Amino acid sequence: MAQFTLPENSKITKGKTYQLKEPANDPKKLAIYRWDPEDDKNPRIDNYEIDQEKCGPMVLDALMKIKNEIDPTLTFRRSCREGVCGSCAMNIDGVNTLACLKSMSDVKNEIKIYPLPHMRVVKDLVPDLSKAYEQLASIKPWLQREKINEEKNSGDEKKQSPKDREKLDGKWECVLCFCCTTSCPSYWWNGDEYLGPAVLLQAARWVSDSRDSERKERLKAINDSLKLYRCHSIMNCTRSCPKGLNPAKEIAGLKKAIVTEL
Amino acid sequence: MKKMTDNRPLSPHLSIHKRVLTAVFSIFHRISGIGLSVGALLISIWFFLISFGPEFYIYFEILSKSILFKLVLMIWTVGIFYHLFNGCRKLYWSFGIGMELSQVYKSGYAVICLTLISSLVVWYLA
Repeated sequence: MAQFTLPENSKITKGKTYQLKEPANDPKKLAIYRWDPEDDKNPRIDNYEIDQEKCGPMVLDALMKIKNEIDPTLTFRRSCREGVCGSCAMNIDGVNTLACLKSMSDVKNEIKIYPLPHMRVVKDLVPDLSKAYEQLASIKPWLQREKINEEKNSGDEKKQSPKDREKLDGKWECVLCFCCTTSCPSYWWNGDEYLGPAVLLQAARWVSDSRDSERKERLKAINDSLKLYRCHSIMNCTRSCPKGLNPAKEIAGLKKAIVTEL
Repeated sequence: MKKMTDNRPLSPHLSIHKRVLTAVFSIFHRISGIGLSVGALLISIWFFLISFGPEFYIYFEILSKSILFKLVLMIWTVGIFYHLFNGCRKLYWSFGIGMELSQVYKSGYAVICLTLISSLVVWYLA
């Protein structure tokens, strides 16, 4: 049975408030989830204030400004700052997205920032993604073509027609930020077994690859009441994807392929 | 030995995630489904009261005239229509049709409109 409330050690408490030292023309308040593994305290919400005139436009810019100038202990993942690495995934203003793609002006009042929902927290905004990565590895996200290679010369070029290549559109663009997976209530309650939208989107990506020889085996491997069919088309994944992809539709495609092909 | 990872808190979920419409439609589909099963039981008891003979008919009368029962019946009709129309929407999704986000929102609003119109028509006729 799913537990809808937070365990005792995860209940959020009030934290510190850092106010602007000098008057600002365009102040913005941020409330950020903090948890330090080195003390035994519960997570807290720290309140920060920045001057938007002296800061870049994105939420990630604000986080970096806070880390650089106000509180160097603030911890978060970031790398490319342009939405291609998927590191800075977090829950901003109630919706999972990439901090580098979320404009501060999109949020009217105070910006509330939490780690990706229903994940173990390593520190502050850094969630433990090891389970999700394990699940990704379980669908074998690499090209398998042993059968094809046996028939032909194994040194052959792996050719793909433009039409077959098109079948991967909407799938290869995924940066594995897990915004979708952690927005899915089904994954919250059944994350141990259910693979979640991000991993299933990857499954669809390899199932759809014309150069891969294991389409049927791949479909068989995910044809499982827990791994795949915990998807009830809630559509939160599609609502959340910062890259504008549609995991729910790809999962529907997988279900359809299983019915028609296996 | 206690590992550093043992004490990791669970990040907040239901309490902080925005009530996005996609999830709201889904949870109401479930709630209406459960409500309909319980309601079907109640309604069959209501009907059984007629067949059990004259001494039970009086309870049928009392129940049928009570405002509370009428209210439950009204909510039940809303549940039926919501579950029916949203079920159709999910059926289309099974074929991968209408799953773009804009379509999902439009069909969602359509479900609400159809539910309200159908319920009003039924109440008007009843």
